[in-house]
Amino acid sequence: MKKDDIFLPKILTFLCNWCSYAGADLAGTSRLQYPASILPVRVMCSSRVDPLLILRAFLNGFDGVLVTGCHLGDCHYQEGNYYTRRRFVMLKKVFDSLGLESDRLRLSWVSAAEGQKYAKVATEFTQKIRELGENSSKNKIFL
Amino acid sequence: MNRKIGVYICECGPNIAEKIDIDKVIEAVTSLNDIVTVERYKLLCSEAGKNYLTEQIKKHSLTHLVVAACSPRDHQLTFMEVCENAKINPYLFQLANIREQCAWVTDNKEEATKKAIRLTKAAIARVRCHSPLEKKEIESNPDILIIGGGIAGIEASLQLAHSNRKIYLVEKNSFLGGLIKNFEKKYPEMQPCSASILQKIETIKKISNIKIFTDSEVQEILGFFGNFEVKVKNKKEKDIESFNVGAVVFATGSSLFDINKNPQYGYGKFDNVLTSLEFEQMNLSKKIVLKNNKTPKSVAIIYCVGRTDKGYCSEICCMYSIKFVRYLKDNIPDIKIVNFYSDLCIPGKSHQKFYEQTQGENIDFIRAENIDITKKGEQLNISYDDETNRKKNCIVDMVILSPALEPSVDAAKLAEFTGVPLGDGDFFAEEHEKLNPVSTSTQGVFIAGCAQGPKSISDTIIQAEAVTGKILSSLIPGKKIEPEVKVSQISESFCIGCKTCLDICSYGAITFDEMNKISVVNEVICRGCGNCVAACPSGAITLKHFTFNQIYEELKEAVQ
Repeated sequence: MKKDDIFLPKILTFLCNWCSYAGADLAGTSRLQYPASILPVRVMCSSRVDPLLILRAFLNGFDGVLVTGCHLGDCHYQEGNYYTRRRFVMLKKVFDSLGLESDRLRLSWVSAAEGQKYAKVATEFTQKIRELGENSSKNKIFL
Repeated sequence: MNRKIGVYICECGPNIAEKIDIDKVIEAVTSLNDIVTVERYKLLCSEAGKNYLTEQIKKHSLTHLVVAACSPRDHQLTFMEVCENAKINPYLFQLANIREQCAWVTDNKEEATKKAIRLTKAAIARVRCHSPLEKKEIESNPDILIIGGGIAGIEASLQLAHSNRKIYLVEKNSFLGGLIKNFEKKYPEMQPCSASILQKIETIKKISNIKIFTDSEVQEILGFFGNFEVKVKNKKEKDIESFNVGAVVFATGSSLFDINKNPQYGYGKFDNVLTSLEFEQMNLSKKIVLKNNKTPKSVAIIYCVGRTDKGYCSEICCMYSIKFVRYLKDNIPDIKIVNFYSDLCIPGKSHQKFYEQTQGENIDFIRAENIDITKKGEQLNISYDDETNRKKNCIVDMVILSPALEPSVDAAKLAEFTGVPLGDGDFFAEEHEKLNPVSTSTQGVFIAGCAQGPKSISDTIIQAEAVTGKILSSLIPGKKIEPEVKVSQISESFCIGCKTCLDICSYGAITFDEMNKISVVNEVICRGCGNCVAACPSGAITLKHFTFNQIYEELKEAVQ
């Protein structure tokens, strides 16, 4: 198989400004390599990530959505990431009940010091999405 | 609106230029709507680069700016300043991070280039939805309210008064000094407490810009950082005084764990069972005697009383209990002392030495569990399990209990009406345990001393000094306060008054307008996390600069 034939998914990655975005930057300054599938979008706090945004992203053709935030207890805004976690669990259930693949969603805590973890999560999640293949629901459902 | 967007791609020396085919990026975005110019430049953050950008903005009369370069954590502010200088609103700018999160992490140049195109296009799509935002400035009051006249409150008052700040020091008792007034000596140097603390109290009384309220309590604190309105009530005279301050320090200290919750120690039931505080007072009065006025021949000190109930180590009990051994030996040289501990906590550069020097004849340290105290004639019998789990007994004349520290009762009251949250052990919660240990989630409210958690006199003073530094560097006379610009906004017409956002906000920035039955954001308190936006069931809340539309347009373009 030629290199070009490997499916490069499109993965939307929400990063909170304070921990995860800094962690992803650290992966860069450390020159850690991970797939170009990861498309970062910065938000101030992971709790800003409205489940509807994730759903819309998914229906717009992203093959996977990764939400990252500070570790629990380390949120820059006290407890935002607890809300993120709760909403994420709920969204997974909504995905399941709509017949969408909830395996295409992932939540991960990445601190500003965890460049390595970010690169690892990005690589593993890309691999996972490669196994699932292209997002079949894209452009089929309108919201 | 007629947008004129300029897109500038930074080569960042070889950093981006070698990893990304910049010409392809230029080609990909040039024909997009509203794009006036797309250029590459060797180093945009340099002085020459900034001047170049300024000239470009003017030359093309740009309304919006997109820079594809490094992380916004590096140079977002740099380019926002450029915008300001070139007279375009700094929020009509977007930085695409094609270095840290693209060039540096993607080996394959073709893939890196494709990703850079996506990120740049996404930034362009986002900037189209940006709205200009204006900085706000609010006058601030440099005065400070300090609640609690113990060592933390005294130290903070003195330090702040040295910088010519007006201080309002509120103490519930009729005297200043707090718990420390009961102590004869401080460990580990065993110097008298009174000299140092009395001197500070005398100094404080002489300083004209410290206004002391004794027998008083704070009844109300309203407002926000720089502008708090305070009401203080004198408990005796019943009169209420109101004044304004810019910052508040909670230095409410601690009290002892209620030993009545642990009846196995026989406190209150048997004579000659004392709390550590009662023993300090007895020692201070120079009369260490039993109830029958005889001198005790043997004393047991029981450490960690209430530790299991509280679920935390109170940090100072081991050290002050060892200090009691010194007190006892100084007063009654041939006394026998048995220390029952569960874990000795003696960290720090001088505490181990203090402990080692306190050992000697007739001083035992026993690691014990399941302690139970009963009366045996005139004496007290302590039954316990030793380290090998064997039941043993020990008979002594007197027992001193070293109970856990818990927050003062005032903490809960203050927390309730100020909304500053309590954390572990019901002590005031720090904004961040490691990174912001003396700030709280309410901007302008600080915590010092045992109000934050059990701690020694030296740690209390360190915290009081830390609070002083925080206040002096953030609340500067004559300097206006710039609240966060990217705050939440609630649409009057969409809000259904469900109050979901009120519960969620960690900062108490949202209040309910009973008249119109809608929630209202106090823009001065809001920190702009956006949690309420995601929670609002009617989509009535918008976070400025992170609106649904802005984020959605950004991600939609990235996936094209």
